[in-house]
Amino acid sequence: MGCIKLLSLTKKQKIIVYTLLIGSTILFLFPYFWMITSAFKSEAELYAYPPKWIPSKWHINNFIESWTSQPFNQFFINSAIVVIFTTIGQVISCSLIAYGFSRFHFKGRDILFMILLATMMIPWDVTMIPLYMEFNVLGWINTLKPLIVPAWFGSAFYIFLLRQFLLTIPVELEEAARIDGANSFQIYYKIFLPLMKPSLILIAVFNMLTVWNDYLGPLIFLNDQSKYTLTLGLAQFKGVYDVDMSAVMAITTLICIPPLIVFFIAQKHIIEGIGNTGLKG
Amino acid sequence: MKSDAAALTNKPKPVNKSFFKKEKLGKLTPYLFILPWIIGFLAFTLGPLVFSLIISFFDWPIIGDFKFVGLQNYKTMFTEDPLFWHSFGVTVKFASILVPLNITIALSLALLLNQKVKGQSFFKTVFYLPGVISGVALAMIWSWVFNSEYGILNYFLSLIGIRGPDWLGDPKWSLGAMIIASLWGQGSMMLIFLAGLKNIPTEMYEAAEIDGANSIKKFFRITLPLLTPTILFNLIMSIIGAFQQLTLALVLTGGGPMKSTYFYAMYVYNNAFKYFHMGYASANAWFMFIIILFLTALVFKSSSMWVYYESEVKKSK
Amino acid sequence: MRIMKMIVSLLIVALLLITTSCSSSDVGDTADKEKVTLRFATWDSGDALKIQQEIAKKFEEQNPGVKVQVEAYADGFDQKLVASFGAKNPPDVMYMWDFPTYHVSLEPLDDYIAKSSELNIDDIYSGLFNYSSINGKIYGIPAGFTSHVIYYNKDLFDAAGLEYPKAGWTWDDLRKMAKNLTDKNKKQYGFAVPGSPDPYDFEQFVWSNGSSYISPDGKTIEGYMNSKETKEVVKMFVDMLRERTALKLGGDISGSKTFKSNKLAMYESGIWPLNGIKEAKINFGVAPLPSFGRNKPACSVLSVSAVAMAKDSKNKDLAWEFIKFYAAEEAIKMRTADLPIRKSIVKEMNYENDPIFASFYKMLETTDKRTPAFLLHPNWKDIQKYLEDAFEKCFEGYKQNPDVDKIFDEAAKQASKEL
Repeated sequence: MGCIKLLSLTKKQKIIVYTLLIGSTILFLFPYFWMITSAFKSEAELYAYPPKWIPSKWHINNFIESWTSQPFNQFFINSAIVVIFTTIGQVISCSLIAYGFSRFHFKGRDILFMILLATMMIPWDVTMIPLYMEFNVLGWINTLKPLIVPAWFGSAFYIFLLRQFLLTIPVELEEAARIDGANSFQIYYKIFLPLMKPSLILIAVFNMLTVWNDYLGPLIFLNDQSKYTLTLGLAQFKGVYDVDMSAVMAITTLICIPPLIVFFIAQKHIIEGIGNTGLKG
Repeated sequence: MKSDAAALTNKPKPVNKSFFKKEKLGKLTPYLFILPWIIGFLAFTLGPLVFSLIISFFDWPIIGDFKFVGLQNYKTMFTEDPLFWHSFGVTVKFASILVPLNITIALSLALLLNQKVKGQSFFKTVFYLPGVISGVALAMIWSWVFNSEYGILNYFLSLIGIRGPDWLGDPKWSLGAMIIASLWGQGSMMLIFLAGLKNIPTEMYEAAEIDGANSIKKFFRITLPLLTPTILFNLIMSIIGAFQQLTLALVLTGGGPMKSTYFYAMYVYNNAFKYFHMGYASANAWFMFIIILFLTALVFKSSSMWVYYESEVKKSK
Repeated sequence: MRIMKMIVSLLIVALLLITTSCSSSDVGDTADKEKVTLRFATWDSGDALKIQQEIAKKFEEQNPGVKVQVEAYADGFDQKLVASFGAKNPPDVMYMWDFPTYHVSLEPLDDYIAKSSELNIDDIYSGLFNYSSINGKIYGIPAGFTSHVIYYNKDLFDAAGLEYPKAGWTWDDLRKMAKNLTDKNKKQYGFAVPGSPDPYDFEQFVWSNGSSYISPDGKTIEGYMNSKETKEVVKMFVDMLRERTALKLGGDISGSKTFKSNKLAMYESGIWPLNGIKEAKINFGVAPLPSFGRNKPACSVLSVSAVAMAKDSKNKDLAWEFIKFYAAEEAIKMRTADLPIRKSIVKEMNYENDPIFASFYKMLETTDKRTPAFLLHPNWKDIQKYLEDAFEKCFEGYKQNPDVDKIFDEAAKQASKEL
């Protein structure tokens, strides 16, 4: 891995860039800051006006009470299972499918690809009930299968993203390998898979977040509390009539942590594109 | 790439060898690669899709029986239901403001981060943060920001002597508030842009620098053309996202005030789950489906004129 | 190719986990075969949900071999329930309020009630059954309910030197108090009016003024929805908004939140915010709803949590046992998130003299004979859209000085078409 040679900036430019970055940082962090401090506030301070920035007493108990008020440990395990298995499924299937769509010319490719894109545009409201019926026939209701299995057949968003990336890779690359006698699978496995690594990590991070925060799927397909995921557990604090605000803030703060850790670890790898793999030029 | 070289010398797995040797499968190969998607589509998407299309010709209160009504649902929708056109208008307005803004801001942030700055990982995480917060809490945060009486935005405005508007309670401002809230959670788009930017080989900039190009020239000659596949992706995804925007309106305004944030997706949702007219909702959904499909196809058709693919270009030579 | 190795090893772990989890769930299934599982769906959340779980546990203790699966759908209740009914996989027993929509898929309970004298149905407030009967058939047994009252902030009243509201007060009194309790500089308001009220919750004001949305036989809207009395009520609230003595609630501004921040002196609601208000340590009191004058008693709409049985349930007898258990003394006493439905328990707990609960029961007495519009017409959901629009135009648009008469005449005209 060579060093990336970034564009060098003049001093004046640097000041502008940093001002903009720090400015947007404050904008982006501010609501987050409020969420975390709210999680520590007492019920009375939560609603105070003018707003109280820092709680006068840090109620760490809010976290413990809300976490133990429902079996959140179980919810966490369920969420983790769904996230891990869907992510593996998505990474494998999407990389294969995107490779198929971007590196070959075959009959019906463009039509099939349009259909693939079209699947993203179907509103969930109307396919939800038939899908429920289907899973019911399969006996999958109240199991994690409806949340996991479809991920093993790829998702349009990620396939599209990978395809866009693969299309930017010059053809000479595989032509050389083909002359050497490699077959398509070998080319996929040995040349493109490593090239896709940053993008695959990107879709893994995206998938993890999407699945982690998914509410509708678990709501519709799971019945028993022992099968619930974290978002369903979180929704237990928002009733039809009233919301337990400090509990929502505390649980949200807690369940944000795993995706953030994953993101922080992954982000270094996401951003190293092929620009520095030495393939070009 | 060291590990790759090592992998090449490893003996390939026997399964692969016999299966793919000399591409026996020939023309079938590409289909094999996309086979997982085809199976998934047939198993989990096609059925429900067809079901919803059929249902759109029925009156189905979900609780109770189906009644065939022919094209009545479509007729009602186009000719008798003012809310249909209204919500469609709201969505078009929302999308046409949000999509360009979204892309510009995400791209600007990505460009900023693509500079040689310290603390890149920190900034990246910060911009990604809002996307991590899930629905329920997000709504609470925004209602606290926009609350006209006790909200933080108007509190700050009052500190500098401005009486802030009734953000979510005034039809003039509510859609704007929705757009601001939507812009906040676009960290993933910025990341995709950033990944696209890093894919541009630095050699090209170096070459341009030798030719004496300034940064503006470099941006328009190199960055922008090479980024077009990413722009295409983000453009299509944000069109789809804007047309399907539901959560924010559902939890923040409920479509109000005076239906000023009554998005089309909300219209479909309410017809299905508030009024239990599933047949009608399916007809609504199919209309939206066709509109987005049409827009996407339009973008795609035009893309041959402005999107630059390395692999395609090389082929045409 | 570290990444590939990682994927492969993860894959193996995944497969192992799936196979083990499948086999373990198989074991679980065989163990459960001896146990009958009864599915019970509720919209309750938070503390109220915990109570449901405890009641279910009690039922399990008393009925060995039965497992009650409490399914908490919270805010997603309708969406989830309708999907499960649509796919013919509904819970056996469920919370229910929207009987007009769901009754075709619910089991009529009259025969069960006739057979179960131990239910002691006369002990249950009879008005509650108004809310769970369709076409003379009972589809649900009430388990808890709430009427509507006015919460008031004692500190704000003291600061303004006002006497606390008490039974027999009128809307004129409330308006006068609200004027005194409003302080623009402190962003403090006397009262609150929802910008787009739920017509269901709003009808009580129309009742109190002597009208209703629709005729009692469910056949006429003209002259009800746009009656002089209905319009008077709307005009009164519009005036309060225009005088700035009432805060407009909606989307971003919640009444309970504002009340909890000591910025709202009087707040109309059911029992739902009670515990939150206590937790926020607000010095508050509860009064019955005000009336529109001497000869017009104040009425409250009820929100009844009834328990109903799915027609497709495979364990109907067990489901009935569970429903009975829910309406029996032990369970009702455990329900602290809403109000007891049995006269005997109310008496025993002395709720009729409780400073907080007395007002709720006073409101219950006044409303025994009132039936909300949504139970009077099968198509009410569609009719209601016009009413919702009319409210929104008047309250959300109060600044434009809305023409209430014209708006409600037009709404009644449009709504009549749906009859």
